[in-house]
Amino acid sequence: MSRLVLKFESSALKEVPLGTRPVTIGRAPDNDIQIDNLAVSNYHARVYVEAGSLVVEDLNSLNGSFLNDMRVERAMLKDGDAILIGKHEIFVDQVHDVAAPAEGERKAPAPRVDETMVLDTKDRRKLLEMAAAVGERSQVAPERMRIPTLTVVSGRTDKKEYRISGKLTVIGHSKMATVRLGGWFTPDVAAQINKHDDGYYLGRGDRVPKLNGRGIEGLAKLEDGDVIQVGRVRLTFKFRD
Amino acid sequence: MHIQTGARTDLGRVRKNNEDSYYMEPALQLYVLSDGMGGEAHGEVASQLAVQTVLTHCRQGENSRTTPIFGESSPDVSEKTNRLASAIHLANRKVFETAASNPEQQGMGATLVAAWIDGPRLSIAHVGDSRAYLLRAGSMDQLTADHSLVAEKVRVGILTPQEADASELQSVLTRAVGTNSSVEVDTDEQALLVGDVVLLCSDGLTRMVTDPEIASLLLTSTSAQESADRLVDLANDNGGVDNATVIVLRVVEKSAGIFERLMFWKKNSG
Repeated sequence: MSRLVLKFESSALKEVPLGTRPVTIGRAPDNDIQIDNLAVSNYHARVYVEAGSLVVEDLNSLNGSFLNDMRVERAMLKDGDAILIGKHEIFVDQVHDVAAPAEGERKAPAPRVDETMVLDTKDRRKLLEMAAAVGERSQVAPERMRIPTLTVVSGRTDKKEYRISGKLTVIGHSKMATVRLGGWFTPDVAAQINKHDDGYYLGRGDRVPKLNGRGIEGLAKLEDGDVIQVGRVRLTFKFRD
Repeated sequence: MHIQTGARTDLGRVRKNNEDSYYMEPALQLYVLSDGMGGEAHGEVASQLAVQTVLTHCRQGENSRTTPIFGESSPDVSEKTNRLASAIHLANRKVFETAASNPEQQGMGATLVAAWIDGPRLSIAHVGDSRAYLLRAGSMDQLTADHSLVAEKVRVGILTPQEADASELQSVLTRAVGTNSSVEVDTDEQALLVGDVVLLCSDGLTRMVTDPEIASLLLTSTSAQESADRLVDLANDNGGVDNATVIVLRVVEKSAGIFERLMFWKKNSG
C-alpha cells in the first residue's frame, strides 16, 4: 500500500494512504493533508494516480510545490520522492501497487519561480556542504593564511612596512590612506588594493600604478614578490607568516 | 569630490504591488535599497521597515558613538562599514520579530543593499540579490555577490553562468533580511574616484537588462537622474516582469569652494 508521509523538520506528522481518490494538500481544513502555515495556499496541491502513475499537481499555489528541489506544476512521482510545500515535506512511500513511471517520460516543463522565496536553512546547509565538497577540490592557496604586507623599496612614505589585510588599502594623500604619501600634488587616492575572496587586487586611483614596471589596465591580481610603483614610491607586495 | 544622485522605482508591467523601497540621505551620503517579499502587501512592509531601520541606526551611530553594534564587527573594514553591517543585522531582527508577532506577515523578508560614502571611501553592505555595481574608466564590475541559489551554485562551480540565466530557480534566495533570527551580511569597500558611477538596483532591473546594456546606458547619460530614468524605462521596455528600483551615484568634481572662488577672483582682477 502506497502512502504519503508529511514531515516537518524530519519528524513525521501524518501518514495518508493513497487510494483511487486524489489526496489534497493545503491550508484549508477540508484537505486530506492539512498544513496550517501561511506559506501554504488553501488548496495547494494534490496527488493522484493517472494511467498507473502517481502524479503531483500544483493547484496554482502562491508559493509553489517543489519536487526534489525543482518547482513543478505537474510531475510524476516515484518511490522516495520528496514534495516540498512551504516548509513541510511530503515523502512518497510506494511499495508495489502503483507502477513506477517509465524512464524517459516527459515531465511537464517547470514554470519559472516568480515569487521570491528563501531557502530553508536545511536546504542552504545542503548547498553549503556541496560547496565545501567542491571547495576541497579547488584547494585554497596557502598565501591566504598568511599576512599580506607592503615593504617600501624607495620613495618617501610614513612607514617602512604596512600590513594590508583589510578589504581596502589606499595609497595616497588622504587621511584614510594606509600608505600615506606626502607632496602637494599627490592625489588623495593615488592607487588602491582591494581584497577579494581569491586574493588581493591592485587598482587605479587618480594615478595608474605600475606593477613590475608596467602600467596596469583594470585590476591586477597581486602575487608574492610583485613590485608596485606609485609616483616615486616603490613597494614590494609580500606574504608574511 | 561631490556625489550627484538620481533614483527611480517602478511597479513594472506585471506586478500589482511595488514591494521595493529605497531611501537617499544626502546629509549622511547614505543610500539604501530593498526588495521585499512575502505576498499580499507584506513585501512592502518588510522592505520599508528594513530601509528605515538601516537609516535610523546609521544616524544614531553618527550622533552617538555609544550606539550598540549588532552582529560581529570585522577588523578588515572601517567603522562606517561595520556600522552599516550592524544596521542590517538590526533590520533583520526587526523584520523577523515583526513577522513573528503578526501571523499574517509570517515569512515576509527583504533583500537589502546599502552604500555609504565617507570622503573617498565607499562602504557597501548587502543581503540577497539586489546589487551594487561600480563603473570606472569605462568598465563595470559587480561589487556584490548575489545570495541566490543559482549564483551560489555558479560560484562553487556546479552551474555555468548560462545555466544560471536559464534556470527556473532565479528567485530562490539563500539569504534574506527578516526570514531567520540572524543573518550573515557581506561588506565591501572601494576608494572612489572622480568619474566613477555607483549603481544600486533590485533584480527587476538586472533580470531585464544585461550588464553591458547597463554600462553603456550609464556611460551615455548626462546626469544621475537621467541614468536612473533610462534604466527603469529599459527594464519596462524589455518586459518589466518585476518591480525595478535603481539608485545612481555619480562622483563628480567638487563644485568650486570659497577658496577657489577667491583665487579665481584675485587672478582675474589682479
